[in-house]
Parts: sequence; structure tokens; C-alpha cells
Amino acid sequence: MKILIVEDEKDLLNAMVDYLHQSGMSCEKASTLEEALERIDLYDYDGIILDIGLPDGSGLKVIEEMKKKNHQTGILIVSAKNSLDDRLAGLNIGADDYIIKPFHMPELVARIKSVFRRRSFQGKKELVMNELRVIPDEMMFFVNDKQVPLTKTEHDLLMFLISNSNKVLTKESIAEHLWGDHADMADSFDFIYSHIKNLRKKIIDHGGRDYVKSVYGVGYKFHSE
Amino acid sequence: MKLLNVTNRYYIIIAVALMLIGCGFLTYRLLYLFDKEITEHMLYEKQIIDQQLYEEKHLQHLNFKFGDHIEVQPIDKFTSFRVHLRDTEMYDPLEKDVVAFRILSYEQQIDSSGYRIKIRRRLTENNDVMYGVLVAVVLISFNMVLSFYFLNRWFSIKIWAPFYSALKLLKNFDLRKEGKLQFRTSAIEEFNRMNEELRKLTDKVASDYRNLKEFTENMSHETQTPLAIIHSRLDVLMQSENLDEQQQEQIRTTLDAVNRLSKMNKGLTLLAKIDNNQYADEHELNLSEVIEKHLSQLDIFIEGKGIKVVKNLNPKMRVKLNPQLVDILLTNLLSNAIKYNVEGGMLKVSMDNAGFVISNSGDAPSLSSEQIFERFKRGGDKIDSTGLGMAIVKKICDYSSCEISHHYFDHMHLFTVAINPGKVKVN
Repeated sequence: MKILIVEDEKDLLNAMVDYLHQSGMSCEKASTLEEALERIDLYDYDGIILDIGLPDGSGLKVIEEMKKKNHQTGILIVSAKNSLDDRLAGLNIGADDYIIKPFHMPELVARIKSVFRRRSFQGKKELVMNELRVIPDEMMFFVNDKQVPLTKTEHDLLMFLISNSNKVLTKESIAEHLWGDHADMADSFDFIYSHIKNLRKKIIDHGGRDYVKSVYGVGYKFHSE
Repeated sequence: MKLLNVTNRYYIIIAVALMLIGCGFLTYRLLYLFDKEITEHMLYEKQIIDQQLYEEKHLQHLNFKFGDHIEVQPIDKFTSFRVHLRDTEMYDPLEKDVVAFRILSYEQQIDSSGYRIKIRRRLTENNDVMYGVLVAVVLISFNMVLSFYFLNRWFSIKIWAPFYSALKLLKNFDLRKEGKLQFRTSAIEEFNRMNEELRKLTDKVASDYRNLKEFTENMSHETQTPLAIIHSRLDVLMQSENLDEQQQEQIRTTLDAVNRLSKMNKGLTLLAKIDNNQYADEHELNLSEVIEKHLSQLDIFIEGKGIKVVKNLNPKMRVKLNPQLVDILLTNLLSNAIKYNVEGGMLKVSMDNAGFVISNSGDAPSLSSEQIFERFKRGGDKIDSTGLGMAIVKKICDYSSCEISHHYFDHMHLFTVAINPGKVKVN
């Protein structure tokens, strides 16, 4: 998966590149609008992570250019808190999703992968990992081709885990993915624990392997092998 | 009490006191003068009688000339020219009453025959004089007080006009609004001095407020990026291959702290943005729908704690408020009501035309009802809270001209939000 990250803050840009790299994506960087426009003109990408507020112009220009090229790149807007207008404008002219700064890296990975999935798997929008199969749009989950009913939270959790497989996920990042602003509710970590437990049980009961391991004091990890 | 009423009150008290003293003095003086006048008049009559006696040598026409108040009697033996004055009371056939008289009597000798002459004069009644004086003085004083009162009113409206205009300016003074106070220049030096000091004071307050606001804004804005960098770097570090448990735990605690800082930052930014009037647009909302939406989002936590929800919503009530602020307000209040609830407790949401009440079971508060809404005041030992939730709630209420209050009653926390009646529509 080839991703272009457009972000003017160099340190943040490098950190994002490093993390996505760890997640097995190949990344290219652009820190100005000019650079970004040059890159999309020269190369094709599976996804673009785009900061709207760039020093030499609005990142919205990139979306417009992409539109003209008419190709299937997923675009994820990175917006500063509360700049709702930018976000709406971006979504209106063709961005696929947005993420609000500051974010957990696993969240970024989950979002860009989800955008990519929606864009690329035309018709066949499913995700297969060994004996597991997920159809995200229809919220369907199969183990060894047998359907396993999942609650919405369990489904969201599973998608988040699969998107970030083999990564250590903190409870905070899981809570924020599942409940957003309500993540800091009391006992939300206990809820994560019980959801993980249920999910694990459902997979194992249907003959799947035990993919989810807890990482002591930190959170969980989904082992894909 | 108004300044005008205070001065008027003193005026009236002094006027009444002066009037009483004046009455007494005037009565005394008048009585004295009347008395003196009567005696002088009688002596004058005596002179005329004496002259007539001297010229005409007989007294035949005296009675006719002086009226019946003069009595002349022949006496056997003339003793002296001494004049006697005495006051007495006699029956007056005209008044049909006993009245006071003054009698001047003396003896006179004409051609060796003696006469006793008595001149009689009616005395003015003391009471009559006092009464007359009182009426006059009261009338004058009444007129004076009345004209004082109206003059004072007129003066005070005219003279105090700059004061009241300054007062009005101060009343409408709003730190959030830009612009300096423009006091009216007046002809009165004291007011100009006061206005000058007020202007300096408000300018200082406004500039301090601006600096503070700028500081908060810059602080929260400028820390965003470094926080994001720390956060993402820690995320990267967390995935390193050869970390032992202890190192991982250390990264997680650091991440926790960064998270808290980010949330605090978010809260402070929100507070600053509300102050900056960035949530001014208002839309009509169905409040019960919004509450239902939030309750369903929090369902999992409500169920998880076994909380019983009691709803008493009015689906017809519409409010005209900023939707984002209403969302934040309800999120904070409802999650608070769950967070500080007890296992198997109760969460009540009720609405009436004046607003809504969110109440929850909970332990007695460690903070007073006022402290709850202060920044960085946390109830209990919930360290993971930013300490800004309730301050944000308060700020939103203040900004939306709603009023929030907290009460603890019968093991329940009650948060009452009274919405400005101008923003409520029920149909």
C-alpha cells in the first residue's frame, strides 16, 4: 500500500511515516502544497493523508487536483480540532474521511486502511485473514465460513484489531476508537476487557485460533500469524 | 434608597424642625408686639383725652367722641396722676363670651374737680395669634418643601445625568465585546474625574482580560503540535521489537499523561473559543431528541453500571441554541451523571418549559455547589478527569444565557439548567 502523507510539521510527518512503515505501508512525504501537487502529478497513490492547513495554501487544492485526475485514491483529511468548515468542505469535494488532531497512530492506520478498502475492493469488499473473513460494510463476520454474529461494538473492535494486527494497542486508543468523546468514561477499560473476552470466545468457539493476546499493563495485541 | 430621597428626607426633617422653632418664636414676638402696641395705643388715647379736657374743660362729649370704651367718673378727692394698668376678663355682649381686656385708669383734675378716667381695650387672644401664625408658617413651609422637592428632582435629573449615563455604560460593559467605554463629558468636574478613573480602570481590566485570553489561546494552540509529535513518537516507540514489560509500561504511562494533557488542551481551547464568540450561530433544536441521542450513545456505560434511567421528556419543546454547544453540554452532564453514579443507581432526566434537570444517585459531594463549576476542581479521586468538564458546562450556560445550579438532595445530585425563556418554544 502506497501512501502520501502531506503534513507541514516535519517531526509529526516523520513520526507518521515511521509508524505507517512499521505497519507495512510504503510512504512518501510532502510538507508543502507545492510538493504535494508535484507528487500527485508524478505518481499514483493508494491513499493520501492530507493536512488542510499548509503554509503555502489550503490542502483542499490537492483534493481538487485529484478529482481532475479522476483516479481511485482514498483521501483522509487530517484537521485541527474544531475546524469543522474545512472538514465539511473537504468531504464535499471528495475526501473520504477525516481524523482530528491529535490522534492515536493505530486510529490513523485503521482509518486509512478503511478508506483504502472502500476505494479499492470494488464489489468484493471483504477482508480475509487465515480462517477469518469480514465484510465490513454489512457487518458480517465468518470463522471457517460459518457466520458469527457480532455486536456493533465487537465488530468495530475486530476491525480495529485486524487493521492494527501485530501492533501493541493501548486501552486508551481502543477506547477512543470505540467511543470517541466518551472514551474517558469511568470503567471504559473494563468494558474493553469484556468485549475482548467475548470476541475471543466467539472466535475460539467457532474453531478459530486465539489471536488476541493481552500485553501486561498496556493493552492488547492481535497476532495475525 | 435613592440619593434624592435621602437628601429630600433631610430637607423635610430640617424644614419641619425649623418651622416649629419659627412658629414658637414668631408667636412670642407677635404677642409681645401686640401687647406693646395696645398699651401704646391706650396711652395715646389718654393723651388725646387729656388734651380735650384741658381745652374744653368739660367732659360732656367725651363719650361720644371716643366711643363707649372710655368711662369718666367724677371723684371726690383727687389723689395723684399715677396711671394704673391691669388686665381683666369681662363679659362681652357682642362675643357673648368672657374675653380678656386691658384697663388703663388714672385720675385727672380739671378746675379743682377730680375725675377718674378708665380706658378699656380688648386684648387679642393668645390662641388666635398662635393659630394664625401656625397656619401661615405651615402654608409657607409646605410650599417650600414642595418646591424643594420638585426643584431637587429637576436638578438631580439635570445634574446627575452624566452619572447615570456612566452607570448605564458600566452596566452594559462586557469584557467579551471589543471597544472602549465612551463616557460623556460633563460640566461638572467631579463627574469628569470619576469618568476618567473609570475609563482607566475598565481599559486596564479589558487589556488584562485580552492578555489572559491571548495567553490561553496561544498556549493551547502552540502546544498542540508538540503534543501530537510526542504522542505519535510514543506510538512508534511502543511498537519497537525488543521492549521488555517495564519499558512498555513506562511508555504507556507517558502516553497516558500526554493524553490527559491533550484533553486539557482541548478543554481550554474550547473555553477560549466560546469566549471568542465562535459558537454564535443558533439553530432550533428538539431538545428531547438530542437528549435521547446522547443517552443512546451512553447506553453501554449505563447498562454496564446497572443504572436505571427515568425519562420525563417533552418532545414538543424546541430550543434555539448552538447545536455544538448543546452537544458538549449534554455529553458532559450526562457522562458526569454516569461517571459519578453508584452501581445500580438512578439517572433521571426531566424537562419542563423552563429547562431541564439531570439528576443521578451519588455520594455526598466533597465540593460545594459553587466549587463544582470551577476549573480544575475535581470531586473524589477520579484523577483521570481533566477537571474542566463542569467549568465548560458553566461556560456554555453563561454564554447561552442559561443558568445552571447544583443541589445535593436525598442522595441525588441535581443539575438544573434553566434556559432563557426567549430561547424556548413549546407548541
